[in-house]
Amino acid sequence: MIASVLWICLLLQGQGGEPAVPPEVLAQLQAGLDAEKQRDLDAAIAAYRKATELAPDFAIAFLRLGNAFMSKRDYAQAIPPLKRAVQLSSSSVPAHQLLGFALLAQGYTADAIPHLDLVHEYGALGIAQLQSGQPAEAVANLQAALAQNPGDPDLLYYLSRAGTALSSQSLDKLLSTFPNSARGHQAAAQNYYLLKMYPEAKKEYEQALTLRGDLPGLRLELGQVYAAGSEWEKAEELFRAETKLQPGNAEAAYRLGDALLQQGKMKEAVVELRRSDSLHADMSETLYALGRAEASNAPADAEHALQRVIELEKESLLAGQAYFALAGIHRKQGKIEQAAKEMAEYRRIQTHNEQIQAR
Amino acid sequence: METMRLLSTRMTTASVLSLLCTFTLLGQDTAQKSESVFQLTPLKGVDFTLRNSPTSRKYLIETMPGGVALLDYNNDGLLDIFLVNAGRICDPMINPFSFARHDPAFWNRLYRQNKDGSFTDVTEQAGLANAGDTNYGMGVAVGDYDNDGYPDIYVTNFGKNILYHNNGDGTFTDVTEKAGVAAGGWSVSAGFFDYDNDGKLDLFVARYLDWSIEKSKICGNEKAPMYCPPGEFPAVANILYHNRGDGTFEDVSVPSGIAAKKGHGLGVAFADYDGDGYTDIFVANDVTNQFLFHNNGNGTFTETALDAGAALTNDGKMLSGMGVAFQDYDNDGLPDLLVTQLPHQPYVVYRNLGHGTFNAEELETGFGVLSGKVSGWGVGLEDFDNDGWKDAFVVQGHVFDNVESYDSSLSYREPPLLAMNRNGHFERGDVGSNVPVAGRGAAFGDLNNDGWIGVITTSLGDRPQFYLNRRGKAHWLTITLRGRKSNRDGFGARVQIGKQVRFVTAAGSYLSSNDKRLHFGLGSVERVTVEIRWPSGIHQAVKDVKADQFVVIEESAQP
Repeated sequence: MIASVLWICLLLQGQGGEPAVPPEVLAQLQAGLDAEKQRDLDAAIAAYRKATELAPDFAIAFLRLGNAFMSKRDYAQAIPPLKRAVQLSSSSVPAHQLLGFALLAQGYTADAIPHLDLVHEYGALGIAQLQSGQPAEAVANLQAALAQNPGDPDLLYYLSRAGTALSSQSLDKLLSTFPNSARGHQAAAQNYYLLKMYPEAKKEYEQALTLRGDLPGLRLELGQVYAAGSEWEKAEELFRAETKLQPGNAEAAYRLGDALLQQGKMKEAVVELRRSDSLHADMSETLYALGRAEASNAPADAEHALQRVIELEKESLLAGQAYFALAGIHRKQGKIEQAAKEMAEYRRIQTHNEQIQAR
Repeated sequence: METMRLLSTRMTTASVLSLLCTFTLLGQDTAQKSESVFQLTPLKGVDFTLRNSPTSRKYLIETMPGGVALLDYNNDGLLDIFLVNAGRICDPMINPFSFARHDPAFWNRLYRQNKDGSFTDVTEQAGLANAGDTNYGMGVAVGDYDNDGYPDIYVTNFGKNILYHNNGDGTFTDVTEKAGVAAGGWSVSAGFFDYDNDGKLDLFVARYLDWSIEKSKICGNEKAPMYCPPGEFPAVANILYHNRGDGTFEDVSVPSGIAAKKGHGLGVAFADYDGDGYTDIFVANDVTNQFLFHNNGNGTFTETALDAGAALTNDGKMLSGMGVAFQDYDNDGLPDLLVTQLPHQPYVVYRNLGHGTFNAEELETGFGVLSGKVSGWGVGLEDFDNDGWKDAFVVQGHVFDNVESYDSSLSYREPPLLAMNRNGHFERGDVGSNVPVAGRGAAFGDLNNDGWIGVITTSLGDRPQFYLNRRGKAHWLTITLRGRKSNRDGFGARVQIGKQVRFVTAAGSYLSSNDKRLHFGLGSVERVTVEIRWPSGIHQAVKDVKADQFVVIEESAQP
């Protein structure tokens, strides 16, 4: 691809009134091309080098030499001839492109950026910007590259990294500019939570709450940290406080209901889970928890909720769990055959999902 | 039935007073809270350390030992203690592999209880020293397999298991080869029971993984290397040995159907869950469905856990089953299950619903609050406050010695859990010690014959802990069964006092063997009727039995 581009350039240059190329230089270039076809890169490099010596102002010779080094993955050696090519032909797209790649490969990311930017090489440009500490620009250019190559796994990988870096940079800025802000502590807490560093996450959330006790969502998130450590009593306390702060928040009501369920407080759990369902109907997790909470005292209502989970979820693992819970209810009622049928459905869905995972 | 024979009253409350004083004195150096149920008490004369030899190679066996048994090996009326040691592991192990069990530091130990409550190490004179250099110790089962009146000891290992026959003169003989019960591979918990009701104790051996030193690998990462989870190694079948009655056993794992199911067994317990007169088997499996082997009464078993509702959590998820107790916690006459496991899921209570099914009720019973962030191993359902309801005790500690490095909310060492049963709902009790340990085995029994159940636990790299019951004012009754047509230990019998039922077994917990005597808390009741359904099918009733005594009940000759 590069070779044909170069020949086109060569022809264009020839048509553009450039000084005539001496035949011995053309001969060296031809020898280099032939060697490249034979995959003899060392011979090609020797021929191109000879051409640069014979015509020290001939951009194409330097470009060919740089390209040969690139083919050999010797990026350090490629940079000087490519720089000379750019110097001699500042409008040469291949020269900027190759120099940008070479600089990027050698870690000179800041130097690579203007060359890649000039030729709109968005993917490589995004990577260079990511590595130069410009995650916002990197995100924009990697998204542009992905628009041209949808689903490219390499681009998706770098976009994900750029997104993380942007998030981290924003957090750093937040913490450095407002080191003692509630949002700063909240953001730090979220990071600790993701890293399963629960004691540190709790500390950060507590500090955030001290500064901004009115901030919606803080208690909900802190409650989830306690829930992750199975500290249900404390989780309940926080979820309950969040429901007072946000009485219309369905998730807060669900979390409170689930915390009550985990403590075996079934009647209280039912109240909160029903409230959550009324605020946001047909949330499968809420209905499933409701089914479990009502199983002991109101099995008919439990069945209704679990059947709705199955309607909504169809073949998901949660649907399987709903069948499992139904089987439990029917076993308690002595309906062994009915329970066996539900267990068969549970097994079928488990197998189905295991097969999907295996694929 | 009035054909019962009340053989003897061994010991009354008054007669054990001197013994109690001794235990109290032994515990005086431990600070106590007045409301605690137990008092962590040193065992005078017990200098055992469970040496598991952890290495940087993260050999999985290092995490698993070791068992403890409470038994009266010399029939003097005092419980003795048998402790299983593990072995030396080199870092790394070099072929030929040796666990240096010839070294006294790695011996299993038998401690004989003296009349003053102290213990004497009788390991060597009893013939129990040196458990074989190729054996890394795990657990212990106790039962009188030859019905000679003296309890025999079966030790499980990574390697070959050992059956020690009690000679009745204070010594034991290794009869493994003759008996044919060496097993091999990685055995964990084991137990004696009589599955065919022929009056001779059979033997069940739970096995963990198809693992070896050569197959060992390290999981996690360079910063935090971890022991690999069980799923990294193939599952294995458990073993059922049938007692032929001539001192030998036959491996009936395949014809009985036991070998048809492979798992990652750790704990095992026995009870007749469906009341058909045949003892069933529950195996606590690690990250596999739990196994409930229903005894078909014809020498075969059918694994029924999933359809019976005793295989998974109440969310339909697998649990990391480790220890198990199989007794009736809610006084409805049906044996229930309490299975301990790893954190982030509570210990599972499978309540027996009757008609052969169970319901997972860990949330309803309170274990969601009590056990969500701990790792449980040895477990018992025993009435610690003698109020007539069986409480739960769990010895705890995470599997991984570096668990804090990848989840700072967890701890390798944890104090035990005491859960007091209040009419079927469990609430945290004061265990009397917050000392965290890497707990593993637990055996339950009345070590000082005061009518109040204590606990002895094991922990990795540490000495055993003894939780002496601080007693209260409630009444109690302790029964020793003596089978005639049934096996002499009476294992498999169902004994009822009022609404309380106990299923006679020394097995359960994790790697351990409990005091085989039956203990009942009676609250304010001073006289009771004891009803027994023996494995032979004989029903027997003993009326007007006074509380606060030890009684021996012999199986009646006639149904």
